[in-house]
Amino acid sequence: METFILTLGWIGIYAPTAIGAIGSIIGCARAGQAACGAMLDVESGYGRMVGVSALPSSQIIYGIVVMFTLNREVTEVNSPGLFGIGLLAGLALLFSAMYQGACCASAINASKNKPEIFGLSLAPAAIVEGFAVFAFIFALVVAGGIPGV
Amino acid sequence: MASRAYYTLIASLPNLPPDFDVDRTPITRPRLKERLDMLHPHDARVVDQVASFLAWDRQPLDRTDEEVIERYDRLMAEISNPLVRELVETRMDTRTISSGLRRRRAGLPPPPGVGKWVNHIRRNYQHPEFNLQGRHSWIAPLDRMLQEGEAMKAQRLLFEVNYRLWSRMAERYTFSFEAVILYLARWEIIDRWTTRDAEKGRARFEQLITETLGDYADLF
Repeated sequence: METFILTLGWIGIYAPTAIGAIGSIIGCARAGQAACGAMLDVESGYGRMVGVSALPSSQIIYGIVVMFTLNREVTEVNSPGLFGIGLLAGLALLFSAMYQGACCASAINASKNKPEIFGLSLAPAAIVEGFAVFAFIFALVVAGGIPGV
Repeated sequence: MASRAYYTLIASLPNLPPDFDVDRTPITRPRLKERLDMLHPHDARVVDQVASFLAWDRQPLDRTDEEVIERYDRLMAEISNPLVRELVETRMDTRTISSGLRRRRAGLPPPPGVGKWVNHIRRNYQHPEFNLQGRHSWIAPLDRMLQEGEAMKAQRLLFEVNYRLWSRMAERYTFSFEAVILYLARWEIIDRWTTRDAEKGRARFEQLITETLGDYADLF
Protein backbone atom coordinates (compact mmCIF):
# COMPACT_ATOMS: atom_id res chain seq x y z
CA MET A 1 0.00 0.00 0.00
CA GLU A 2 2.82 2.33 0.93
CA THR A 3 4.50 1.78 -2.44
CA PHE A 4 1.26 2.55 -4.24
CA ILE A 5 0.82 5.83 -2.38
CA LEU A 6 4.41 6.82 -3.07
CA THR A 7 3.89 5.98 -6.76
CA LEU A 8 0.95 8.35 -6.84
CA GLY A 9 3.20 11.04 -5.42
CA TRP A 10 5.76 10.56 -8.19
CA ILE A 11 3.02 10.55 -10.80
CA GLY A 12 1.78 13.84 -9.38
CA ILE A 13 5.23 15.41 -9.64
CA TYR A 14 5.79 14.44 -13.25
CA ALA A 15 2.16 14.74 -14.48
CA PRO A 16 2.21 18.50 -15.24
CA THR A 17 5.23 18.07 -17.52
CA ALA A 18 4.08 14.86 -19.22
CA ILE A 19 0.44 15.77 -19.68
CA GLY A 20 1.28 19.39 -20.51
CA ALA A 21 3.71 18.13 -23.15
CA ILE A 22 1.00 15.94 -24.70
CA GLY A 23 -1.28 18.98 -24.85
CA SER A 24 1.40 21.15 -26.44
CA ILE A 25 2.19 18.42 -28.96
CA ILE A 26 -1.45 18.15 -30.03
CA GLY A 27 -2.07 21.91 -30.00
CA CYS A 28 1.07 22.83 -31.95
CA ALA A 29 0.45 20.01 -34.41
CA ARG A 30 -3.12 21.17 -35.12
CA ALA A 31 -2.14 24.81 -35.56
CA GLY A 32 1.00 23.83 -37.49
CA GLN A 33 -1.00 21.73 -39.93
CA ALA A 34 -3.34 24.64 -40.52
CA ALA A 35 -0.36 26.94 -41.06
CA CYS A 36 1.07 24.54 -43.66
CA GLY A 37 -2.29 24.41 -45.44
CA ALA A 38 -2.67 28.18 -45.42
CA MET A 39 0.81 28.54 -46.94
CA LEU A 40 -0.51 26.68 -49.99
CA ASP A 41 -3.26 29.24 -50.41
CA VAL A 42 -1.51 32.57 -49.79
CA GLU A 43 1.67 34.17 -51.06
CA SER A 44 2.83 35.97 -47.91
CA GLY A 45 2.61 36.07 -44.12
CA TYR A 46 4.19 32.64 -43.65
CA GLY A 47 6.27 33.64 -40.63
CA ARG A 48 3.24 35.00 -38.84
CA MET A 49 1.36 31.74 -39.35
CA VAL A 50 4.20 29.61 -38.03
CA GLY A 51 4.52 31.97 -35.08
CA VAL A 52 0.85 31.54 -34.19
CA SER A 53 1.11 27.78 -34.47
CA ALA A 54 3.72 27.78 -31.69
CA LEU A 55 1.40 29.43 -29.14
CA PRO A 56 0.29 26.16 -27.49
CA SER A 57 3.89 25.45 -26.49
CA SER A 58 3.51 27.66 -23.38
CA GLN A 59 1.62 24.89 -21.58
CA ILE A 60 4.65 22.62 -21.43
CA ILE A 61 6.63 25.49 -19.91
CA TYR A 62 3.95 25.96 -17.22
CA GLY A 63 4.03 22.21 -16.65
CA ILE A 64 7.78 22.20 -16.11
CA VAL A 65 7.54 25.07 -13.60
CA VAL A 66 4.76 23.27 -11.67
CA MET A 67 6.86 20.09 -11.69
CA PHE A 68 9.83 21.92 -10.14
CA THR A 69 7.53 23.44 -7.54
CA LEU A 70 6.11 20.04 -6.60
CA ASN A 71 9.47 18.29 -6.68
CA ARG A 72 10.42 17.24 -3.15
CA GLU A 73 11.01 14.13 -1.08
CA VAL A 74 7.93 11.95 -1.64
CA THR A 75 6.33 10.60 1.55
CA GLU A 76 3.04 8.95 2.45
CA VAL A 77 1.92 12.25 3.92
CA ASN A 78 2.49 14.46 0.88
CA SER A 79 1.80 11.96 -1.93
CA PRO A 80 -1.99 12.54 -2.12
CA GLY A 81 -1.43 16.29 -2.36
CA LEU A 82 1.25 15.94 -5.02
CA PHE A 83 -0.93 13.57 -7.00
CA GLY A 84 -4.05 15.73 -6.82
CA ILE A 85 -2.38 19.01 -7.75
CA GLY A 86 -0.02 17.53 -10.33
CA LEU A 87 -2.65 15.50 -12.14
CA LEU A 88 -5.30 18.23 -12.21
CA ALA A 89 -2.81 20.91 -13.28
CA GLY A 90 -1.61 18.57 -16.03
CA LEU A 91 -5.15 17.93 -17.27
CA ALA A 92 -5.93 21.65 -17.30
CA LEU A 93 -2.77 22.27 -19.33
CA LEU A 94 -3.60 19.37 -21.65
CA PHE A 95 -7.05 20.62 -22.57
CA SER A 96 -6.01 24.26 -22.77
CA ALA A 97 -3.19 23.38 -25.21
CA MET A 98 -5.44 21.19 -27.36
CA TYR A 99 -8.17 23.79 -27.66
CA GLN A 100 -5.73 26.64 -28.01
CA GLY A 101 -4.30 24.75 -30.97
CA ALA A 102 -7.78 24.59 -32.49
CA CYS A 103 -8.24 28.35 -31.85
CA CYS A 104 -4.89 29.08 -33.52
CA ALA A 105 -5.82 26.91 -36.50
CA SER A 106 -9.08 28.82 -36.88
CA ALA A 107 -7.26 32.14 -36.55
CA ILE A 108 -4.81 31.13 -39.29
CA ASN A 109 -7.65 29.95 -41.53
CA ALA A 110 -9.77 33.05 -40.95
CA SER A 111 -7.00 35.61 -41.35
CA LYS A 112 -5.15 34.10 -44.33
CA ASN A 113 -7.44 35.83 -46.85
CA LYS A 114 -8.26 38.72 -44.53
CA PRO A 115 -5.01 39.87 -42.86
CA GLU A 116 -6.71 42.85 -41.21
CA ILE A 117 -8.45 40.53 -38.72
CA PHE A 118 -5.25 38.74 -37.74
CA GLY A 119 -4.93 40.39 -34.31
CA LEU A 120 -8.57 40.03 -33.40
CA SER A 121 -8.71 36.43 -34.58
CA LEU A 122 -6.13 35.57 -31.94
CA ALA A 123 -8.40 36.73 -29.09
CA PRO A 124 -9.95 33.27 -28.49
CA ALA A 125 -6.48 31.71 -28.27
CA ALA A 126 -5.44 34.43 -25.81
CA ILE A 127 -8.51 33.81 -23.65
CA VAL A 128 -7.76 30.08 -23.54
CA GLU A 129 -4.18 30.94 -22.57
CA GLY A 130 -5.60 32.99 -19.70
CA PHE A 131 -7.32 29.92 -18.27
CA ALA A 132 -4.10 27.94 -18.54
CA VAL A 133 -2.35 30.71 -16.60
CA PHE A 134 -5.02 30.50 -13.86
CA ALA A 135 -4.46 26.73 -13.55
CA PHE A 136 -0.71 27.28 -13.49
CA ILE A 137 -0.62 30.10 -10.91
CA PHE A 138 -3.03 28.46 -8.51
CA ALA A 139 -1.19 25.14 -8.76
CA LEU A 140 1.88 27.02 -7.51
CA VAL A 141 -0.12 28.69 -4.73
CA VAL A 142 -1.72 25.44 -3.53
CA ALA A 143 1.57 23.54 -3.83
CA GLY A 144 2.91 25.81 -1.08
CA GLY A 145 0.58 24.05 1.37
CA ILE A 146 1.93 20.55 0.72
CA PRO A 147 4.24 19.38 3.51
CA GLY A 148 7.86 18.52 2.84
CA VAL A 149 9.19 21.57 1.00
CA MET B 1 -17.15 7.29 -34.98
CA ALA B 2 -15.65 10.77 -34.87
CA SER B 3 -14.63 12.05 -38.26
CA ARG B 4 -10.99 12.70 -39.11
CA ALA B 5 -9.59 16.21 -38.77
CA TYR B 6 -8.24 17.94 -41.85
CA TYR B 7 -6.37 21.01 -40.63
CA THR B 8 -4.00 21.24 -43.58
CA LEU B 9 -6.63 20.56 -46.23
CA ILE B 10 -9.24 23.01 -44.93
CA ALA B 11 -6.65 25.75 -44.38
CA SER B 12 -5.32 25.23 -47.91
CA LEU B 13 -8.74 25.93 -49.45
CA PRO B 14 -9.59 29.58 -50.11
CA ASN B 15 -12.56 30.89 -48.15
CA LEU B 16 -15.85 30.71 -50.02
CA PRO B 17 -17.76 33.96 -50.54
CA PRO B 18 -20.97 34.59 -48.57
CA ASP B 19 -22.88 34.75 -51.87
CA PHE B 20 -22.39 32.27 -54.73
CA ASP B 21 -22.95 34.93 -57.40
CA VAL B 22 -19.29 35.68 -58.17
CA ASP B 23 -17.26 35.92 -61.38
CA ARG B 24 -15.22 32.75 -60.87
CA THR B 25 -14.68 29.95 -58.40
CA PRO B 26 -12.18 30.75 -55.62
CA ILE B 27 -10.20 27.63 -56.59
CA THR B 28 -10.05 25.83 -59.92
CA ARG B 29 -11.29 22.27 -60.31
CA PRO B 30 -7.83 20.75 -61.01
CA ARG B 31 -6.32 22.56 -58.02
CA LEU B 32 -9.21 21.44 -55.81
CA LYS B 33 -8.77 17.82 -56.93
CA GLU B 34 -5.08 18.11 -56.13
CA ARG B 35 -5.84 19.33 -52.60
CA LEU B 36 -8.35 16.52 -52.07
CA ASP B 37 -5.49 14.06 -52.43
CA MET B 38 -4.85 14.81 -48.75
CA LEU B 39 -8.00 12.90 -47.81
CA HIS B 40 -7.88 9.50 -46.14
CA PRO B 41 -8.79 6.78 -48.69
CA HIS B 42 -12.10 6.04 -46.97
CA ASP B 43 -13.10 9.71 -46.96
CA ALA B 44 -11.90 10.04 -50.55
CA ARG B 45 -14.42 7.33 -51.52
CA VAL B 46 -17.21 9.29 -49.83
CA VAL B 47 -16.11 12.43 -51.67
CA ASP B 48 -16.21 10.46 -54.92
CA GLN B 49 -19.80 9.50 -54.15
CA VAL B 50 -20.72 13.15 -53.53
CA ALA B 51 -18.88 14.24 -56.69
CA SER B 52 -20.63 11.60 -58.77
CA PHE B 53 -24.02 12.63 -57.37
CA LEU B 54 -23.35 16.31 -58.04
CA ALA B 55 -22.08 15.53 -61.55
CA TRP B 56 -25.20 13.49 -62.21
CA ASP B 57 -27.36 16.24 -60.76
CA ARG B 58 -25.92 18.94 -63.03
CA GLN B 59 -26.33 17.09 -66.31
CA PRO B 60 -29.10 18.88 -68.20
CA LEU B 61 -30.52 15.64 -69.59
CA ASP B 62 -34.17 14.73 -69.31
CA ARG B 63 -34.61 11.66 -67.18
CA THR B 64 -37.62 9.56 -66.47
CA ASP B 65 -38.89 9.52 -62.91
CA GLU B 66 -37.99 5.83 -62.72
CA GLU B 67 -34.37 6.63 -63.61
CA VAL B 68 -34.20 9.29 -60.90
CA ILE B 69 -35.72 6.97 -58.29
CA GLU B 70 -33.42 4.12 -59.26
CA ARG B 71 -30.34 6.34 -59.08
CA TYR B 72 -31.42 7.81 -55.74
CA ASP B 73 -32.04 4.40 -54.18
CA ARG B 74 -28.71 3.08 -55.40
CA LEU B 75 -26.89 6.14 -54.08
CA MET B 76 -28.56 6.04 -50.66
CA ALA B 77 -27.71 2.34 -50.32
CA GLU B 78 -24.04 3.19 -50.90
CA ILE B 79 -23.78 6.22 -48.59
CA SER B 80 -23.45 5.77 -44.85
CA ASN B 81 -22.14 9.22 -43.88
CA PRO B 82 -25.11 11.05 -42.25
CA LEU B 83 -24.12 14.48 -43.56
CA VAL B 84 -23.73 13.25 -47.13
CA ARG B 85 -27.13 11.58 -46.90
CA GLU B 86 -28.58 14.85 -45.65
CA LEU B 87 -26.99 16.75 -48.55
CA VAL B 88 -28.38 14.34 -51.12
CA GLU B 89 -31.80 14.31 -49.47
CA THR B 90 -31.92 18.12 -49.33
CA ARG B 91 -31.01 18.37 -53.01
CA MET B 92 -33.54 15.72 -54.01
CA ASP B 93 -36.27 17.35 -51.90
CA THR B 94 -35.65 20.60 -53.78
CA ARG B 95 -35.91 18.71 -57.07
CA THR B 96 -39.12 16.95 -56.04
CA ILE B 97 -40.78 20.19 -54.95
CA SER B 98 -39.78 22.10 -58.10
CA SER B 99 -40.84 19.11 -60.20
CA GLY B 100 -44.22 19.15 -58.43
CA LEU B 101 -44.69 22.84 -59.26
CA ARG B 102 -43.82 22.27 -62.91
CA ARG B 103 -46.09 19.22 -63.23
CA ARG B 104 -49.01 20.96 -61.60
CA ARG B 105 -48.59 23.89 -63.96
CA ALA B 106 -48.61 21.45 -66.89
CA GLY B 107 -51.77 19.79 -65.56
CA LEU B 108 -49.98 16.54 -64.79
CA PRO B 109 -50.45 14.34 -61.69
CA PRO B 110 -48.04 14.65 -58.71
CA PRO B 111 -44.44 13.51 -59.34
CA PRO B 112 -43.51 9.98 -58.21
CA GLY B 113 -40.22 11.52 -57.05
CA VAL B 114 -38.11 10.64 -54.05
CA GLY B 115 -37.49 11.98 -50.58
CA LYS B 116 -39.54 12.71 -47.51
CA TRP B 117 -42.03 15.11 -49.12
CA VAL B 118 -43.36 12.88 -51.88
CA ASN B 119 -46.44 11.65 -50.03
CA HIS B 120 -46.99 15.04 -48.45
CA ILE B 121 -47.01 16.67 -51.89
CA ARG B 122 -49.48 14.08 -53.18
CA ARG B 123 -51.83 14.82 -50.29
CA ASN B 124 -51.50 18.60 -50.69
CA TYR B 125 -51.09 18.81 -54.44
CA GLN B 126 -53.69 21.51 -54.92
CA HIS B 127 -52.36 23.72 -52.13
CA PRO B 128 -50.36 26.58 -53.75
CA GLU B 129 -47.25 25.73 -51.74
CA PHE B 130 -48.04 22.07 -51.04
CA ASN B 131 -48.64 23.14 -47.43
CA LEU B 132 -44.87 23.41 -46.98
CA GLN B 133 -44.66 27.19 -46.64
CA GLY B 134 -43.57 26.89 -43.00
CA ARG B 135 -40.50 24.85 -43.92
CA HIS B 136 -39.78 26.09 -47.42
CA SER B 137 -40.60 29.76 -47.81
CA TRP B 138 -39.04 29.75 -51.28
CA ILE B 139 -41.81 27.69 -52.89
CA ALA B 140 -44.13 30.67 -53.56
CA PRO B 141 -41.44 32.83 -55.22
CA LEU B 142 -40.25 29.81 -57.22
CA ASP B 143 -43.78 29.09 -58.41
CA ARG B 144 -44.15 32.73 -59.48
CA MET B 145 -40.85 32.65 -61.40
CA LEU B 146 -41.83 29.43 -63.17
CA GLN B 147 -45.16 30.98 -64.07
CA GLU B 148 -43.40 34.01 -65.55
CA GLY B 149 -40.96 31.78 -67.45
CA GLU B 150 -37.99 33.19 -65.52
CA ALA B 151 -35.91 30.00 -65.68
CA MET B 152 -32.62 31.66 -64.76
CA LYS B 153 -34.14 33.46 -61.77
CA ALA B 154 -35.74 30.20 -60.63
CA GLN B 155 -32.36 28.43 -60.91
CA ARG B 156 -30.71 31.23 -58.98
CA LEU B 157 -33.29 30.95 -56.21
CA LEU B 158 -32.78 27.19 -55.87
CA PHE B 159 -29.01 27.64 -55.74
CA GLU B 160 -29.41 30.38 -53.16
CA VAL B 161 -31.61 28.17 -50.96
CA ASN B 162 -29.08 25.33 -50.95
CA TYR B 163 -26.04 27.60 -50.68
CA ARG B 164 -27.47 29.39 -47.63
CA LEU B 165 -28.52 26.15 -45.98
CA TRP B 166 -25.12 24.56 -46.49
CA SER B 167 -23.30 27.70 -45.37
CA ARG B 168 -25.32 27.64 -42.15
CA MET B 169 -24.50 23.96 -41.68
CA ALA B 170 -20.81 24.67 -42.35
CA GLU B 171 -20.72 26.98 -39.31
CA ARG B 172 -21.05 23.86 -37.12
CA TYR B 173 -17.87 22.31 -38.48
CA THR B 174 -14.35 23.70 -38.61
CA PHE B 175 -11.64 21.24 -39.61
CA SER B 176 -13.60 18.00 -39.85
CA PHE B 177 -14.46 15.85 -42.84
CA GLU B 178 -17.96 17.33 -42.77
CA ALA B 179 -16.41 20.77 -43.38
CA VAL B 180 -14.72 19.34 -46.50
CA ILE B 181 -18.02 17.90 -47.78
CA LEU B 182 -19.89 21.17 -47.21
CA TYR B 183 -17.08 23.09 -48.90
CA LEU B 184 -17.34 20.86 -51.96
CA ALA B 185 -21.13 21.14 -52.10
CA ARG B 186 -20.96 24.95 -51.99
CA TRP B 187 -18.04 25.08 -54.43
CA GLU B 188 -20.13 23.01 -56.85
CA ILE B 189 -22.93 25.60 -56.72
CA ILE B 190 -20.48 28.43 -57.45
CA ASP B 191 -19.00 26.40 -60.29
CA ARG B 192 -22.41 25.68 -61.78
CA TRP B 193 -23.41 29.32 -61.54
CA THR B 194 -20.17 30.71 -62.97
CA THR B 195 -20.18 28.24 -65.88
CA ARG B 196 -23.89 28.49 -66.69
CA ASP B 197 -23.27 30.39 -69.95
CA ALA B 198 -20.65 27.89 -71.05
CA GLU B 199 -23.02 25.00 -70.30
CA LYS B 200 -25.82 26.70 -72.16
CA GLY B 201 -23.52 27.24 -75.13
CA ARG B 202 -22.30 23.64 -75.06
CA ALA B 203 -25.87 22.28 -74.88
CA ARG B 204 -26.88 24.51 -77.79
CA PHE B 205 -23.83 23.38 -79.77
CA GLU B 206 -24.65 19.71 -79.14
CA GLN B 207 -28.26 20.33 -80.15
CA LEU B 208 -27.12 21.95 -83.41
CA ILE B 209 -24.76 19.05 -84.12
CA THR B 210 -27.57 16.55 -83.54
CA GLU B 211 -29.99 18.49 -85.70
CA THR B 212 -27.44 18.76 -88.51
CA LEU B 213 -25.94 15.28 -88.44
CA GLY B 214 -28.82 13.21 -87.09
CA ASP B 215 -27.69 9.70 -86.14
CA TYR B 216 -24.13 10.46 -87.23
CA ALA B 217 -23.81 12.96 -84.37
CA ASP B 218 -22.93 10.07 -82.05
CA LEU B 219 -19.70 9.65 -83.97
CA PHE B 220 -18.52 12.93 -82.48
